Amino acid sequence: MVKDTVLKVYGLDAGYDGKLVVSGIDFQLAEGEILSLIGPNGAGKSTILKTISAQLDKKSGSVSFKGREVSLMERKERAREIAVVLTGGIKTGMLSCREVVESGRYPYTGILGKLSDTDRQIVDDAMRLAGADIYAESDIDRISDGQRQRVLLACAIAQEPKLILLDEPTSFLDIKGKYEFMDALVRLCKERKMSAIMSIHELELAGKVSDRILCIRDNKADRYGTPDEILKNDYIAELFGLDDELMKKFRD
Amino acid sequence: MNKEIKKKSNLSYFVLFMILGILTAVFFAANICTGSVNIGLDSLTDLICGRGGDDTVRSIIVDIRLPRTIAAFFLGGALALSGYLLQTYLYNPIAGPFILGISSGAKMTVAVAMMVFMNAGIRMNSFTLIMAAFVGSMISMLFVLFLSDRVGSMAMLVISGMMIGYICSAITDLIVTFADDANIVNLHNWSRGSFSGMNHENAAVIAVVIPLAFTGVLLLAKPISAWQMGESYAVSVGVNLKAVRFAIVILSGILSACTVAFAGPVSFVGVAAPHLVRRMFGTVRPMVMIPACFMSGAVFCLFCDLLARTVMAPTELGISTVTAVFGAPVVLAAVIERRASRMR
Repeated sequence: MVKDTVLKVYGLDAGYDGKLVVSGIDFQLAEGEILSLIGPNGAGKSTILKTISAQLDKKSGSVSFKGREVSLMERKERAREIAVVLTGGIKTGMLSCREVVESGRYPYTGILGKLSDTDRQIVDDAMRLAGADIYAESDIDRISDGQRQRVLLACAIAQEPKLILLDEPTSFLDIKGKYEFMDALVRLCKERKMSAIMSIHELELAGKVSDRILCIRDNKADRYGTPDEILKNDYIAELFGLDDELMKKFRD
Repeated sequence: MNKEIKKKSNLSYFVLFMILGILTAVFFAANICTGSVNIGLDSLTDLICGRGGDDTVRSIIVDIRLPRTIAAFFLGGALALSGYLLQTYLYNPIAGPFILGISSGAKMTVAVAMMVFMNAGIRMNSFTLIMAAFVGSMISMLFVLFLSDRVGSMAMLVISGMMIGYICSAITDLIVTFADDANIVNLHNWSRGSFSGMNHENAAVIAVVIPLAFTGVLLLAKPISAWQMGESYAVSVGVNLKAVRFAIVILSGILSACTVAFAGPVSFVGVAAPHLVRRMFGTVRPMVMIPACFMSGAVFCLFCDLLARTVMAPTELGISTVTAVFGAPVVLAAVIERRASRMR
């Protein structure tokens, strides 16, 4: 069975203002697939994600979502198709986790932002799917980092997107938090046929959950393939610029 | 440590709004009845029902106290709302039109405009007053926003805002001092902040402009709810950042400009009222915050104006003197609380 292609990126150059950060990015993503972006810090993983979500203007090339250029989609429509899970706190206190997830319904509600019963149902389902329903009424400021990440995932799910973008979603989590989060993400992609692109530093975890991995190095796409093709010790050492001298100190 | 938020039901919101409503009514009536001539509630009801009554009493109420009370009500609400918008925009709970020097900027341009118009022999009407104040508040506000991109810390931004305020106030004082026209006596009172001297036309303009701006703010409730989580969140759920930014700045400017145009700079209401409301209601939901801020700002100013008129009667206190006494401690509490929440 051939899966539908959700996202096609080719010849993408991305960067800030006058500065080019990455160039020549090509890949495709099918329905329900998870793609990981790996590579050293500053290689441009976040820049790629921001450009795909159209928070940054692309420099050249194309990002097409189901045949339509992302930067040309209407804001509200884009928010219904592509959701972003951001790392980092929410800037206001006195907000319950449920209220945060409710903000995911933004592109669906009317001018006053009033939620319908259907919206509330979707919010409940999203929290359950992300495993965040137990602390729905807690203050977003007073839960652990792992719990907060799952609330933010629920917020993205409530947007009912076809594609979720995640920027280092597991970086600040402890081991249990990392596994719980990935478990929720994988379940989500299977059940809802959503696709996901994430930047990630935990290679082992990336290997287990990803369908494909794209390596970014020296501001270019380096390799692109299945986890088995990519995650070989020699290549990883090369990708992250680990030399023998450094590694020798940590062997035995 | 999963501390549950004290869940506020719609009922408790309703009760709190009722309390604010009752307080508004009480202080509104008190402002109309008390003063150099105390008027009993019975003669007030007589007047409302059109049962004649004393002409002097009638004139005191209708021509002096009513416009003043209406002004205090609407302008107080406007200040609180303007402060709420600035706090939202800057993600800073101690921002406000007075603290950031925006009121002082408006004061300066109004003083300049008054001088120019007086020398030309033209009387300024409410509309030109508001326009002059709006220009000044925009200049200050754009300067503050320009700084906020460059000054990393919120504390530094507040200090910069205060400096802008001092510069503008100094220029205003200079203008007022060198103005020897007899008409300028009013200008001196106004430049210290006061609700006195309102006429029917002022009150009417206020009662039209402020509700319009209030409606505009209410229409921003949905984007604000996404905005307050952070700009990136807002973008990712589809908020048009540029449009919302523009709307917040313009509305906040109009609201504070109106206040300054008619009452001069009034301190602390813009910071204190939203803070008290957040504490009272235990939420940041804009659909609750916006009307609650407006009402509490209105109550606060009605209360302070009542004190300003009565405490040292027949001498009248500057309104900012009174608002500072009650508002400044609230701002301090907000600062301490913010620090405590950071430490958690």
